[in-house]
Amino acid sequence: MSDLLANLWMGFQVAGNPFNILFCLLGVLVGTLVGVLPGVGSVATIAMLLPITFGLPPVGALIMLAGIYYGAQYGGSTTSVLVNIPGEATSVITCLDGHQMARQGRAGPALSIAAIGSFFAGCVATVLVAALGAPLTGLALLFGPAEYFSLMVLGLIFAVVLAKGSVLKAVAMVLTGLLLSMVGSDLETGAGRMTFDIPELADGIGFANIAMGVFGFAEIIRNLELPAESREILKTKISGLMPSRQDLIDSSGAIARGTLIGSLVGILPGGGAVIASFAAYTFEKKLSKHPERFGRGAIEGVAAPESANNAAAQTSFIPLLTLGIPPNAVMALMVGAMTIHGIVPGPQVMTKQPELFWGMIASMWLGNLMLVVINLPLVGIWVSLLRVPYRLLFPSIIVFCCIGIYSINNSPFDVTIAATFGVIGYWLVKHDFEPAPLLLGFVLGPLMEENLRRAMLIARGDVTVFFTRPISAVLLSTAIILLILAGLPKMRRRRDEVFVE
Amino acid sequence: MSEGVSPSPRGTRPGFSINTHNLIGGLIATVLAALLLAWAFYVPNAVIPRFMSAALVLVGVAATIGLLPVHAPRDFYGGIALVMLPTLALIASAELPGQRGFAFGPGTAPRLFSFVLAALGAAVAIGGVFAEGPPIEKYKIRGPALVIIGILAFANMIRPVGLVPATFLTFMISILGSTEMRWIESLIMAAAMTAFCVFLFVYLLNLPFQLWPRF
Repeated sequence: MSDLLANLWMGFQVAGNPFNILFCLLGVLVGTLVGVLPGVGSVATIAMLLPITFGLPPVGALIMLAGIYYGAQYGGSTTSVLVNIPGEATSVITCLDGHQMARQGRAGPALSIAAIGSFFAGCVATVLVAALGAPLTGLALLFGPAEYFSLMVLGLIFAVVLAKGSVLKAVAMVLTGLLLSMVGSDLETGAGRMTFDIPELADGIGFANIAMGVFGFAEIIRNLELPAESREILKTKISGLMPSRQDLIDSSGAIARGTLIGSLVGILPGGGAVIASFAAYTFEKKLSKHPERFGRGAIEGVAAPESANNAAAQTSFIPLLTLGIPPNAVMALMVGAMTIHGIVPGPQVMTKQPELFWGMIASMWLGNLMLVVINLPLVGIWVSLLRVPYRLLFPSIIVFCCIGIYSINNSPFDVTIAATFGVIGYWLVKHDFEPAPLLLGFVLGPLMEENLRRAMLIARGDVTVFFTRPISAVLLSTAIILLILAGLPKMRRRRDEVFVE
Repeated sequence: MSEGVSPSPRGTRPGFSINTHNLIGGLIATVLAALLLAWAFYVPNAVIPRFMSAALVLVGVAATIGLLPVHAPRDFYGGIALVMLPTLALIASAELPGQRGFAFGPGTAPRLFSFVLAALGAAVAIGGVFAEGPPIEKYKIRGPALVIIGILAFANMIRPVGLVPATFLTFMISILGSTEMRWIESLIMAAAMTAFCVFLFVYLLNLPFQLWPRF
């Protein structure tokens, strides 16, 4: 316990460094901005800003990128409440009650409850990340190559089962990512693999290029197809930001339950903030004595999902920081960011770079505080940003992405690769394939192959090693059971129902 | 949701109904598979990919002429593509050394994962034959094409003409992809965005960009 406090204290010293505070502030502001703007996702933004963080010190860079993620959860709610369009996928559900509240002239309390809920969730999640960090890292240090490989398999399976869409197709996407990650020089022998004698491919396909193509460009192309949405921003002035005492009493339970659900779902690979917000809303509606109030401006319907998505956004850092396994696409990007800075994500981060680990955790708390303090007064500015039409926004994003990709390696070829993946991403959407598992597979690919090769080498080519070593056996059988469960017709139907809702 | 290319006259003559939908998709699949087949014969050692691409050609032809009743085209053609990709990967890694003793060679893992992916892709495609599914959404041409042309233009312009013209032109090309584009505001915005990017990347971040064409 005193260890934890000492570590947190150190973290706060790191995060309290004026430069890091600035990066944190920058991160949450940019995050709120992209959260507010519909059609600009946090994945694309983090991919976009990766090149910019190049010149920054690693701690500052990661603090900023993390800020973008949880800042976006926060910003998304503003658009949901005021415009009835989710600014971010995680605040889809907030539209239901949030916008109704706004129509009843209670936009202020809706926004502030979202903020308070998010802040509370952020605080709890920060403590959780800190508390779970050490034991999980200790566990991970017991792992050999075989266990690591099995853990990654389990992580990927989890991600696939919990994501929406067909499990079979998602597994296929993971393998596509794995295969793509093998383009380039072989880790051990240096032999060029599947490079088609293109010299630029010798180093492999850049991670940022794929992310930007599949999430940035493809999303833009996709948005251009949809009919222009009518953005009717509420004209009524937002008066009285503070919620009444009754509002606070009504929502306190929902905030606590939302935080709990969000924290749990966030830790699971593949869960992340979207599922957390849906689960929290559904749970709250089931629990309520007056479920008919939901959808008509119930404050619990704002408090629960907003707390849940923020909690989940933060606890999803746990698998990344302790085990080195990214549970969702944003965390996959964080792996990319860490790799760019020469940090190998995994249990060794905490022992070798404690200031990074604890600094990041402390910065999350500071970032959440900033979000509450800064954002409510800034609502007016965010709303005015919503008046920028998408037709002007998307070319700006495109040129920004192009320059960003080019600047990573000063390579025009990288831009071409990203364009190619933009087309591929568009095609994937047309055929109901989710791009996120592809990215996860791509990020984990080199690690998986390395551990697989090592495990086989140590076991002298004996494949059964994955089932004779106890930890590995447990992990792999969990993965297999999960897959079987997800494949059962009954479970499949229930899963579909959950995602339709 | 936009409609598919054409509703299939399903049920009238099951199994032998040619609809434009399968004609286009099947033809594309056949042509790509044939290219793979040719390549597989050109590359030595690529024996298995030869069989795989030959099978793909047959499936493609069957889908084109309507021998294969495709009920869920999204899945079917998606699955076919996911068999083509590992076939390509197998051709590309055909000459890489494989396992030596119990040590993996550089070619082992690519081949291993290729086979698994091919099996999964086949499963997706088979599911697309039997399960019912929605038709493939119509592909739009204008938006995607102009956005991609803009990006490719940037890739080709940045070295010879420099950051300022490349950014400005990329902005203008890609904004043409929107149906609501208006000239004056676009030109103003393009200039503003160019200025912002120059300020951010060149002055603030100190990245080594060439700003203007060199003569």
